[in-house]
Amino acid sequence: MPATDYQGSSSHSHPSPFSSFGRSLLSLRRDSPAVGASQAMPSGEEADLEAFQRHVAAHLADIRGEEDEFLSIEWIRRLLEAFLLCQEEFRVFVAQARRRGALPAAGEKLVVEFHERAVKALDVCNAARDGVDQLRRWERLADIAASVLLAPGEIHEGQLRRARKALSDLAVLLVDDTAASGSGGVASFLASHRNRSFGRARASPSRAAVAGASSATSASHFRSLSWSVSRAWSASRQLQAIGAGLAAPRAHEAGLAAPVYAMGCVLHLAAWALVAAVPCPDRSAALQAHHLPAAPPRAAFPWAPPLLTLQERLAEEGKRKDRRHSCGLLKEIHVLEKSTHKLTEAIDAAPIPLFGDREADVREAAAELAAVCAAMRDGLEPLERQVREVFHRIVRSRVEGLDSSMHNAD
Amino acid sequence: MDGSAELEAAERVVMRWDSTSASASAAADEPMLFDGASGDRIEAERFLRAVDDLRRLAPPSPAAVGSPRCLSSGSSAGGASSAVQVAMARLEDEFRHVLSSRALDLEIEALADLGGSLSISSDRSNSASSADLQVVDEDDSVSSSVGRRSSYRSLPSIREIDLLPDDAVADLRAIASRMAAAGYGRECAQVYASVRKPAVDASLRRLGVERLSIGDVQRLEWKALEAKIRRWIRAARAAVRGVFASERRLCFLIFHDLPISNITITATATATAATAPATHDTPFAEAIKGAALQLFGFAEAISIGRRSPEKLFKIIDLHDALSDLLPDVSDIFAASKVAESIYVQAAEIRSRLADAVRGILSEFENAVLRDPPKTAVPGGTIHPLTRYVMNYSSLISDYKATLSELIVSRPSASARLAAEGNELAPSLAELELPEPENQSPLAAHIIWIIVVLEHNLEGKASLYKDTALSHLFLMNNVYYIVHKVKDSPDLWSLIGDDYLKRLTGKFTMAATNYQRSAWLKILNCLRDEGLHVSGGFSSGISKSALRERFRSFNAAFEEAHRVQSGWCVPDTQLREELRISISEKLVPAYRSFLGRFRHHIENGKHPELYIKYSAEDLEIAVNDFFEGVPPSPHIRRRSHG
Repeated sequence: MPATDYQGSSSHSHPSPFSSFGRSLLSLRRDSPAVGASQAMPSGEEADLEAFQRHVAAHLADIRGEEDEFLSIEWIRRLLEAFLLCQEEFRVFVAQARRRGALPAAGEKLVVEFHERAVKALDVCNAARDGVDQLRRWERLADIAASVLLAPGEIHEGQLRRARKALSDLAVLLVDDTAASGSGGVASFLASHRNRSFGRARASPSRAAVAGASSATSASHFRSLSWSVSRAWSASRQLQAIGAGLAAPRAHEAGLAAPVYAMGCVLHLAAWALVAAVPCPDRSAALQAHHLPAAPPRAAFPWAPPLLTLQERLAEEGKRKDRRHSCGLLKEIHVLEKSTHKLTEAIDAAPIPLFGDREADVREAAAELAAVCAAMRDGLEPLERQVREVFHRIVRSRVEGLDSSMHNAD
Repeated sequence: MDGSAELEAAERVVMRWDSTSASASAAADEPMLFDGASGDRIEAERFLRAVDDLRRLAPPSPAAVGSPRCLSSGSSAGGASSAVQVAMARLEDEFRHVLSSRALDLEIEALADLGGSLSISSDRSNSASSADLQVVDEDDSVSSSVGRRSSYRSLPSIREIDLLPDDAVADLRAIASRMAAAGYGRECAQVYASVRKPAVDASLRRLGVERLSIGDVQRLEWKALEAKIRRWIRAARAAVRGVFASERRLCFLIFHDLPISNITITATATATAATAPATHDTPFAEAIKGAALQLFGFAEAISIGRRSPEKLFKIIDLHDALSDLLPDVSDIFAASKVAESIYVQAAEIRSRLADAVRGILSEFENAVLRDPPKTAVPGGTIHPLTRYVMNYSSLISDYKATLSELIVSRPSASARLAAEGNELAPSLAELELPEPENQSPLAAHIIWIIVVLEHNLEGKASLYKDTALSHLFLMNNVYYIVHKVKDSPDLWSLIGDDYLKRLTGKFTMAATNYQRSAWLKILNCLRDEGLHVSGGFSSGISKSALRERFRSFNAAFEEAHRVQSGWCVPDTQLREELRISISEKLVPAYRSFLGRFRHHIENGKHPELYIKYSAEDLEIAVNDFFEGVPPSPHIRRRSHG
């Protein structure tokens, strides 16, 4: 990407003064005759380094998008895409350094270190894949409820019952998954809501007790969540491992120290966002900011400000009252939970036969739910593919690393 | 009975079995319609008929509301739809009940025996393990006990097992078809997957498939992983050919031709692309997807591990096992989009394992190249590296069926470039690889490995201060290489006669060089030149020169005897031949020297100081050579005088 692209996009989407400060620092160093040529780093490498860092900054800045897109499937995909782009730039950067012979053993060691770090993200990818699968299961149940109520014609008792049953099965899944994710809040909320709702239904003889009884028997059957990662695996611990030892290189550390650090930070951000977004085993602790690696100094790296902006935004979102105990910060999960809740309330409040405002309420809630289901159906498959692509690329670059460092080992 | 009376009768039947009614919440002892022998067959049939009647007489499709057939009032339509819902809730419970309570105990142990060649393959695996390669001892049984390309390929194929008795499957089919017809296919599919998924997971646990994350696998010792790979190969066969195949069949028997997942009535019908022919597969895919990904995840974790030479053969085993399974995986999983992604992933992992095999092989080549010449092995015997590399090479030739497929490029230019950049091997790039026509890439690699080994050995040979010993070292090692090649027909055929000839030539050269540098000086003592006094008629022999000659011969021979008895030629035949060859040169020369000059000495004083040994003494003394043991301090003399 030519440098002008970055300036073009950053001028509107990323007005932080720090990035230009960082850039001018770098260019100052390059232009200054006192330092320039005498540096250990060949000038080609310095130019490459600067370009690399600017590109990383630009890719991160490109993720932001509209406010209401934040943490949507689309947004996560953009984040993963940014990671892939950065990874590719890094690969090229390393290859060029290697070709120039400017990659001493210490540099190769840094590259290997990054690959080791990246390999730790593979389990996150697998867990996220399971999480996405889980979302699909939710979507299927939610879609039953929504589509039953949106079918043309009057809504009769049968449809209401059927929708309610699907919603209660969904509630069981949500409760289980939230419990597995390691947070209690929504789980207990949903559980109590379910009991309340079915309790009330049961108490009203005319309604013949919804699907409460059958959902009680089905509850245990639906508890089929199985993560393909090991039982003891924890997303929070994995994230800590990914971020372990991630510290900004000192000013005198030339060569690969800065790009490796940048990639470490971008990798951590991507993995962290993924864990935050979708259900994963033991993910809730991961959202706490004190588990984050030390923040990169804004002034020293052009990519630090956009990265920190994303990171802060994510941490904020995790702290929000209505999201703190969610089983995933993904926007679609939030909407799904909200619309499920709303639809359940609407159904509970609905007299039989349905008419007027009540019917409109039910249909409106159902339409909302249907919309988010559609969004999930459309988005989850590409998301899963992209998570897999991240997996592939990490593996591929590690293998390339294994192959090329082999000759330069010792 | 007119339509509405029939409808009411049907509703009554259905309502009797309202599982959503409050009284039915005592789930445990609730009677079920379909319950094997204890169920009420007649009632079950009646219930299904009632469901059919409901559908026939009052189509639940809301689209039918207001159509001429719907004569009754709106509330009746609502009642019918309510009855349908009650019936469907009931059927869903019945479906779940039959599916979970009538499941047969899967005979996992029998399934695990699907891999019939188990004993052979584990034998082979044991002998190919890293320990055997590293701990090389005198006996070379490593290669002789392996090499039978065991019957990996002749495994039994898919074996579908009844997961439920036929009558239960028939009941499930009957229920599923009612639910699908009423538009409740998705609910039915959900229940199916929610029951079968844990069952599949449990089967895999019983087969010994562990849930290991990639991190777990990376932390494990290779020895432990080898055992896990062995177990995985067995488990994967049983899982794919037994468990997954049986699941697919069950799903097919219950759901085939039923419209179960194509009902998304919402306006946004974009994702309703579940294509009709594959519908019976969706519940199957959901039931097994997690288990399958987890199963293959282990092979994937292995494929991305560090590449070290000792892993090669186990990874080939894993690769072969997966390759062998792929056609079945394709057969089982290719029927739907979701399931197909599992096949794609398995195929990816196979090719990653192939990459790993290639990577490990070049890692091995590099390791051979780089093995640093630290200290010389005492006595010039066979270097452990030589044994290691040759045992490894003959294992490679044992695996040539797979390796010939995987190794498609000759030793890369980059490998040679790396060799060039290696200070240990500055001249390696000059080495020419013999490249006869139609030589396979694998053969080129093996030859390259041996070339690199030879080169490395030359570096190690230069560690000896004594050039004769350095030649002896090379002779021993090249002889060992030649021998190993000849011992393994597979290796021989890979390497070819040309290269073997070169190796033999190299061996002969080393043997000649040894003899020259070790014995020329000694034999020179026995020459005539320099003994004759110049001028004068009588053939003048300088007695003092002659005495000096005998003295220096004795000293040189004693020194050679002392030193070379400590040298080592481990191969008995080679040792014998070498002694004979030395004797053949030494003894006649000595005998003739003695014949020509002994009287000059014997006429003088103290002849025993100069003629210490008879020819026979030398012959006997030569037998002490190359034993690799400190020699007796003195040369034994057969006779005195």
